Amino acid sequence: MHAATIGSILGRELRLGYRAPFLVWAFALPIFMTLLVQGIFGNLLGQPPSLGIVDEGASEVAAAAAGLDDVEVVAYGSADELAEAVAAHDVDAGLVLQEDFDTALLAGERPVLQFTVAGESLASDRAVLAVTALDLVRAVEGSMAPVSVEIVELGETGLDLASRMIPTLVVMAVAVSGVFVPAMGLVQERERGTLDAVLVTPATLWDVFAAKIALGVGVAVVTGSLTLALNGVWGAAPLALALAVAVGGLMMAEIGLLLGSWAKDQNTLFAVWKTGAIFIIYPVIFFIWPNLPEWIAKVAPTWWFLDPVFSLSLEGATLSDVAGELAIALGWCVALIPAVVAMGRYLERRIGEE
Amino acid sequence: MTQPSIEARGLRYAYGEHLAVDGVDVVVQPGEILGFLGPNGAGKSTTIKMITGQLRPDDGTVTMLGMDLASHRAEAQSRLGVAFEEKNLYDVMSARENLRFFGRLFGIKEVDVDGLLRRVDLADRADDRVAGYSKGMRQRLMMARAIVNEPDVLVLDEPTDGLDPVSARAIRALIRAEADRGAAVLLTTHDMHEADELSDRVAFINEGRILAEDSPEALKLEHGSRSILVRVKGGAGVEERRIALDGAETAEDLTAAMGGDILTVHTEEATLEDIFVTFAGRGLAG
Repeated sequence: MHAATIGSILGRELRLGYRAPFLVWAFALPIFMTLLVQGIFGNLLGQPPSLGIVDEGASEVAAAAAGLDDVEVVAYGSADELAEAVAAHDVDAGLVLQEDFDTALLAGERPVLQFTVAGESLASDRAVLAVTALDLVRAVEGSMAPVSVEIVELGETGLDLASRMIPTLVVMAVAVSGVFVPAMGLVQERERGTLDAVLVTPATLWDVFAAKIALGVGVAVVTGSLTLALNGVWGAAPLALALAVAVGGLMMAEIGLLLGSWAKDQNTLFAVWKTGAIFIIYPVIFFIWPNLPEWIAKVAPTWWFLDPVFSLSLEGATLSDVAGELAIALGWCVALIPAVVAMGRYLERRIGEE
Repeated sequence: MTQPSIEARGLRYAYGEHLAVDGVDVVVQPGEILGFLGPNGAGKSTTIKMITGQLRPDDGTVTMLGMDLASHRAEAQSRLGVAFEEKNLYDVMSARENLRFFGRLFGIKEVDVDGLLRRVDLADRADDRVAGYSKGMRQRLMMARAIVNEPDVLVLDEPTDGLDPVSARAIRALIRAEADRGAAVLLTTHDMHEADELSDRVAFINEGRILAEDSPEALKLEHGSRSILVRVKGGAGVEERRIALDGAETAEDLTAAMGGDILTVHTEEATLEDIFVTFAGRGLAG
């Protein structure tokens, strides 16, 4: 293999990648999936519920609201201005505190609290804001709640479903990029005959493979990192996280070369992906439902980079915490090399005979 | 004696049970054009793929410019140019990008793209994507790509197939120029006139074996009919007289023909197609 030749092939792929639909698709799919999942679970781009307040006096309710951590509070100058903001869904809900609100409240006069909600706001945000508003008023009034609420947590203490979906998004990003970029590139070059033209120059099939792997890993790292960034889960050790994604990208790129060498055309490649992708992706269900027996997930090579990604991004792990699992993932990458070499030889002979 | 640019000995290749090439020898000297003729399935492409390094022979050796292809493939290929029958260019790239890319694969940092494209009359379309090229333009670009590294060995598979006469003539002139520069050219074609016009030697291949190999002239002399056909305008209309060139009455017949009103004179030497049929018992088009 020659670095200059690999660089030339990789350079061509990078310069012209934007003209390749499958490469554009590899970038677009994880972004689309992230937006879809975040939209479904009501946590699009991690926005907290927002509350607009008009304080016509100097209410302690407004002062207490400003100190809330989980609610974004926005002050408005007039009730009309607030109404416009709520109608436009600039905020999820609005609260108008009249000039003598606190005085009337403390005098036990039950003043009117005007609470408006945006029609487009999420139901979960409305519920949170309504309860928050009542709690704030009760705190100012100094009254006790009419009931004593005992909170009992059932099930394991853990992450919400949207967070547990992140391995699914990461594996989609890394697998689609890592597998498809090299596999589709190889199949298309064979279908168009350009690989024959390259292989009668001093470039070897191993140079081509190295360039395809580099591209697959590069795109996988970018799309995987983009997915983590979109979900705001870079964790405490971002470099270790990038390393885990890169190891996953390498593993997927090797699988991509195996598929691309074996599949005779694009239709075969897609058919194999549709039926076989489950064997790559299935460990994600063990993150969504953590009570399932983990050993089943550990049979799949993807588990060994996905679990480090999960631990680093969401559980505050460091590189030393996941080093063992990453070593096993790298072991899988090394174990795949003889298979890639064998498929390369098979491909070389088949190209010659086609 | 000069070292052959291509020297393939005893090439043999089987696709499963089917023996496609059976003990083929191919030798091409520097500056020589060898026409490789045979019908589809005769073993031409398989032989060429073994010579270009695309296929490893089951048996036999290929030496290119003195280098054993099995052990020095990359070095040998660095001095090889190939134009495939299939127009396998990068369609999403321009002609300039295609040539630069292949130049870099040969280790050439600055390819004289404009000079190459001028030689194939594509200079004004240098920056257009190949996807918009006609078949003739693609073929000319394939030729430019084949000579991007100024190769010492040029292997051309049906280089003028489907081209208009003007483009075909330009490609033939380019091939001749490359041979004159010193490149050894191995050419496959179905066009017998092209093979006749371009080739210094031709080799007939059928069912995986070389049937005959010599210069077109020598083959035609050996296997053709030495006669001329003279059409003369006579009293009873146009007469045709066939005159053997090495018969006892040749001089007398020619004198008699000259006395008439000659309309046309044609030699009746055999075509390469005729000679191939003589050897193979089948035509080249099959």
